[in-house]
Amino acid sequence: MATQQASTETTSARLEEIFISSNRIQELSEAEDIEDMESKSPEPLHQQMAHLDLIEQPLRDNLVTQSSELQDETLAAILPFLTDNPFGFELNSYGIPKLQRSKHIAFLHNALGKYPPQFAVMDAARPWLLYWSLQGLTCLREDVSDYRERVTYTFSACQHPTGGFGGGHGQLPHLAASYAAVLSLVIVGGEESYEMIDRKAMWHFMGNMKQPDGGFTMAPGGEEDIRGAFCAMVIITLLNLPLELPPNSPARVKGDETFLTNLPEWVSRCQSFEGGISSAPGNEAHGAYAFCALGCLCLIGEPSTTLPKYLSIPPLLSWLSSRQTSPEGGFQGRTNKLVDGCYSHWVGGCWALIEAALSSPNTSATSSNNCLWNRAALVRWILSCCQGKKGGLRDKPGKHPDAYHTCYNLAGLSAAQHHYVYLPERNTGLDEGPLAAAFKWDVADGGVGEEDKRVWDEEDEVRVVHPVFVVPWGQAEKCRGYFERKEGF
Amino acid sequence: MSKYSDDPAWSDIVPLPQDDGGPNPLAAIAYKDEYSEAMSYLRAVMAENEMSERVLGLTEHIISMNPAHYTVWLYRAKCLFTLSSDLKAEIAWLNPTALKHLKNYQIWHHRQTIIEKLDSADGEVTFISSMLEADSKNYHVWSYRQWLVRRFDLWHEGELEAVEGMLKEDVRNNSAWNHRWFVVFGNEKMEGVDDGVLEREMDYAKAAIYMTPQNQSPWNYLRGLLRYAKLPASTLKEFALEFASPEKPDEVHSSHALDLLADIYAEEENKKEAEKALDLLAKRFDPIRANYWNYRKSLLELPAAAS
Repeated sequence: MATQQASTETTSARLEEIFISSNRIQELSEAEDIEDMESKSPEPLHQQMAHLDLIEQPLRDNLVTQSSELQDETLAAILPFLTDNPFGFELNSYGIPKLQRSKHIAFLHNALGKYPPQFAVMDAARPWLLYWSLQGLTCLREDVSDYRERVTYTFSACQHPTGGFGGGHGQLPHLAASYAAVLSLVIVGGEESYEMIDRKAMWHFMGNMKQPDGGFTMAPGGEEDIRGAFCAMVIITLLNLPLELPPNSPARVKGDETFLTNLPEWVSRCQSFEGGISSAPGNEAHGAYAFCALGCLCLIGEPSTTLPKYLSIPPLLSWLSSRQTSPEGGFQGRTNKLVDGCYSHWVGGCWALIEAALSSPNTSATSSNNCLWNRAALVRWILSCCQGKKGGLRDKPGKHPDAYHTCYNLAGLSAAQHHYVYLPERNTGLDEGPLAAAFKWDVADGGVGEEDKRVWDEEDEVRVVHPVFVVPWGQAEKCRGYFERKEGF
Repeated sequence: MSKYSDDPAWSDIVPLPQDDGGPNPLAAIAYKDEYSEAMSYLRAVMAENEMSERVLGLTEHIISMNPAHYTVWLYRAKCLFTLSSDLKAEIAWLNPTALKHLKNYQIWHHRQTIIEKLDSADGEVTFISSMLEADSKNYHVWSYRQWLVRRFDLWHEGELEAVEGMLKEDVRNNSAWNHRWFVVFGNEKMEGVDDGVLEREMDYAKAAIYMTPQNQSPWNYLRGLLRYAKLPASTLKEFALEFASPEKPDEVHSSHALDLLADIYAEEENKKEAEKALDLLAKRFDPIRANYWNYRKSLLELPAAAS
């Protein structure tokens, strides 16, 4: 457990918030960076490095407030990583640290191993540890099928008799735990993994979570927020569950018929005055919730139909674009908050979905090679600032790596390195029924134009991730196909 | 060390031991004996659906060791309601627990469940304020505050003043700006707002922009006001020109003003000026978003480009 030491506090804060992050008071301990700064690159890095033309901040206000102080402190800790190479990593041909593939692989295998007693705070989040680690490993091109049996066994202890998965043995079923469990099983794949899921009971659990106002609660008696809407639709789609609500559902009792009743309308209510999307109507716009909202709408229908129908696109686009921070190049989760590596995915992953929504012939293809954001700046941020010295990826310099940030930094790296197209007519070999929309994506690499100033070599590349399911390319289709061929539950 | 197995009060319970899943489970945690035993008793009482004072004590014990355990919180709430426990006492117990675990997520949902049942918001705003003093952008605290205002109709009970206090402290606190919007426009029972309110909000955001022209929060607020009131962007033309003009690239004080001006010129079908503003953003004042600004330029070619 050497690489996971001492990060209990940070990690548990992460897990408490499950999907969202960065709303804790930032404490830049600097411990790791200061200790590990012994090795410097032999010559001034700026001579070898692709020019960092974003370093200047041409516009700055003088008024000092808590937010600006925190931002300045944070940037001071980050800058050495943007302009130099404090950890002495080997550099790629653009003068940027190489992806430390083997170190990250070792870190994630380790993250699937045993944890010491102080990790009891993660008791309810073991399904997440499995998902983050397995997804991260596949991103790094590791074959994880050897884990299949152990994954299946581990989740068999988390499955609740009334349906759904909890965080562990005897814990109540929870939509986040169910999402992490189903995705993990989809990643390792295979009949024994699929068959261990009690789909009929899962359908009943989903029915229990569906609320009369259209949204989903996370657990029985739990909070209703947009994570619920996204997690539920991912599970229903992958497991090919009936769309009809089971008779026990509170929404069914009210008279609703399907899981989709009032759902996109509920999602729509989460768009805030800023243009971004919040956890529930009235709350603050936030990057992780934006991904949940876009993902949910892209499961329900084609992006070019559902996104403009339920969201106001220009303010959403403006808000999303504003989340990329300069000069860091990564993403922040909210206006005037700090950059954090996990948003490499939560915000970085929104782009494929929104770009697909804008590329319909009716709304004009987006210019600049169908790219609305700065891929190179994100890659630079991840490779230069988010790689831990001993493996694993992190929130930002000064923080310890953990499985959560490793998974979502790598997913963000994938989003920056690969291009997607949405092909409504794509023949997937799957049924053309409802909830088939998320299977129409294709990879369109190779058309990288001038706008994508590359800062990575081939050996820095990670695998293509499914833009909605966030699992390795091809795995979601296999699971869906398996359950389409299966009669009944 | 055996708190429960040696206690005659628990002798009727057969604990359900931990099962991490098969002979070789992944990400297994080596729990301390104290935690492991308490959880074994919780599993056993939950399997029997036991609701009792001793179960409340057990949940308190587990929460003290692991406050991030949603099952324990949900079961505790169920237990409190079944036993008709003193919910005010529960809140009194929660207060120091919440302050100790600022980032904890379950505590806030539990609090909401209890307050909903208690049907009284007494003391809540004061407590929230003390939490926000320690962590002024805590998402869960703000979300809880919004629930509270809606649930107890606190729209006119000092919320606006509280927000103003916080924005005075830190005009960049976007959570406070969001709450301001919520308090002014979030009441679904309200039928529109009058022009006086709209003007007041415009002035408030403008004053903040004069202090910090590059602060996106008040600009987003202003933009939100335009959309809410369905006003053309040109309403703010004179104001935006105070901070930037495509004609004076060396006197730009705010990229957000240029962004707004680009929309205003597009609305006026002044493509040339709109392009100038967007070029300044893409090339000089906000190059990280060059692709986005260029996309906005491409929209100028379309009919009815103004967004």
